[in-house]
Formats: sequence, structure tokens, C-alpha cells
Amino acid sequence: MTVAPIPPNVLPPFKQRFGGLLRRKWFREMVLLWPTLTRQRFSNKTEDYGVFQPSLVSHIGQLSIYVRDIARSRDWYEQVAGMIHSRTCDWEPHPYKEQWKIRCCYMSASGHDECLVLVEQLDPEGNRVGSSGMSFFHFALELEGNRLEDVLAFAENQRANRNRLNYGPVRHNSEPPLGDGETGGNVACYMYDPDWHSVEFCGAMDTVENYRARYGDTKGSAHS
Amino acid sequence: MTLPRPVHAAKLQHHVFYVTDLERSKEFYMRLFGLQFSALNHPDSSAAMRLSQQEMHFFSFGFHHHDLCLVKHHKLTMDNGSMLHFSLVIRGPETFDAIRSRAQDIGCQLREGRMLASAKQEARAFCLQDPDRHWIEIIEEKQP
Repeated sequence: MTVAPIPPNVLPPFKQRFGGLLRRKWFREMVLLWPTLTRQRFSNKTEDYGVFQPSLVSHIGQLSIYVRDIARSRDWYEQVAGMIHSRTCDWEPHPYKEQWKIRCCYMSASGHDECLVLVEQLDPEGNRVGSSGMSFFHFALELEGNRLEDVLAFAENQRANRNRLNYGPVRHNSEPPLGDGETGGNVACYMYDPDWHSVEFCGAMDTVENYRARYGDTKGSAHS
Repeated sequence: MTLPRPVHAAKLQHHVFYVTDLERSKEFYMRLFGLQFSALNHPDSSAAMRLSQQEMHFFSFGFHHHDLCLVKHHKLTMDNGSMLHFSLVIRGPETFDAIRSRAQDIGCQLREGRMLASAKQEARAFCLQDPDRHWIEIIEEKQP
């Protein structure tokens, strides 16, 4: 088994230690001291704009990500995320890289059939090519129950099993004790899979209903 | 000591991917799919974004705060080397046809059928690329 190279967007362990401090307002204020002094903070605001109508899209159906070793990744998504292996297929032509081949392992979540595809790829010379890590920042799996307590239980379970969280659990708002000053309201913790893909495990995200309950039909900075 | 109860993943909920030009991609996703810009996390006002040197624009399908997020890394260059594709499931046949028509109007090259040969066959599907050459598969939602 080869170890996947660490992509450049992966925060080194030293920087990851600061993650917990983002729940402290004084630390966030310290990080934002310069844009506060230069007043850029107030022209480039982090804020919610609200959602008010359905779009044309229902949901995300599937995501396919490159992995170096399907067996190793499948084991991780089964053991850590509790996902279910649906099927692993034979080699097939890569859909858009001429003479490349792929092998797909379809993984399901309890309420979402074949939502994640783990893809091994071979270049025309037959060399296995892993993931660059630079196409996406993370993807998010909503946890069963979809509540604050469910995410906290998930995090506690990972710690008990000596699986490392690289961030969280936090709540993406500014409310103590879990708030990290971000937006979305979701409670989340993050882990790296064996190919350094960042995976968010989340629940209790803000919805159009609770946005309206708080702010009515107000968009943007009026409520901030 | 007893272990806390296991909690498993229920569904793929949102996806946060890199783009090179936030405004260009924002225009593309809002115009083609009618997505709503729901939030902004800017490195001048978000400590996490400042530490990670990123800026994030959030988009909603109309119920959750965010479903797709575009992120620009201010120091690193994105590529297409870690994701093969993602799929968006579209509400109803008329909407599916409307998106196909919009995509053609804005000059997208369409590829018929599902992205992966081994994927289950859906009612109808086609694929296209966004301005950063991320492949998006458009699937018509199955009718109950």
C-alpha cells in the first residue's frame, strides 16, 4: 500500500491546533485585527443572504472522487462514515481522458443510494494515478438524526476509536460555545480520508424556515 | 466505559469545490440552475477563511442554507485532479428540458447520458462542464 502524497491545501498539524481556538471570540478578533483596523472587514462582510424560493435543483445526486486504493478507501468510508458498499465494477474507459481506465466503487449512505463513487484510475501506461487534492475543498455527509447531539456523538465515537478529527465539532455561526464565526448554522466536524480528501460530517443546518423565523424576508446586511 | 452510539452518514448533503474566478462561476451557476446566493465567507471578516486563505460563496437549492459552495484559494491553484464529476438532480421533466435549453443558449457542449458507464441508468441525463472544466451530470429526478 502506498501512502498518498499530502496535497498543498491540507493544513499542517501545527496550524490545525488553532482550529479549536476559532470557537473563542477573542481569537477570531485577533486574527481579524488587521482587516478591522483597515476597515476592510466592514466592506467584505461574512454574512447570510437568506434563501426565499426553490431552485431548479432538487439535490446533489452523486460525487465521484479519485482514490489511490479502493479497498483502503472503502474500508475507511465503511468504518468511519458507516457507509454501505453497493458494488465495485470492472475497469471501464475513463469518460473523458483518452486511453485512461477507471474502476468505480459505489458507496451508499443509509438514505442516499450510491451517492459516493470511489474511483481508481490508470493512465495509458497502466500507472495508477492518485488524487491531486485541489479540485474540491470538502464534501459533506449529513448524519443520521441530523441534530446537534448526533454530530457530537459522532465526534465522540471517532475519538473513542482513535480516529483523528482535523476540525470540530463546531457550529458554523457565532453563538458560543461551539460557534466558529462562520455561516450556515450547521454543526460539523471534519476528517481526512486516506487520500486527504476533507470530509465534513454535519447536521442541523439552517433552513429557509428558520432563516425566515429569525429575519423575515430581510436579505443581507440589514440583520447583521 | 461504554462507547457512544455509532452515528452513520445519511446522505451526501453539500459539496464545496474550487474555482478560479468566483464571479464568473457564480454567474454560471445562478443563471443555469437558478441557484440562490445564500452567504459569503470572506477572509477579511472570517477568521477561518483568513487562516486558510480562502473565500467561499454559498448557494442554496432553496431549502438548506447551502448545497453548493464555490471556494477560491487565494494562494494555491486549483485543478481537476481530485474529482471526476458531481451530479445535480433536477426537479421534473420540464425543468430538465429548460436547463438543457439554457445550457445550449450559453454555449455549453452537452454530452448525452450518464458520466460513468457503470452508473445506474436514470430516466434522462446529460453532462456539461462549468467554467473551470468541472464535469457536472444533470439527472432528471425520478417521478414517484
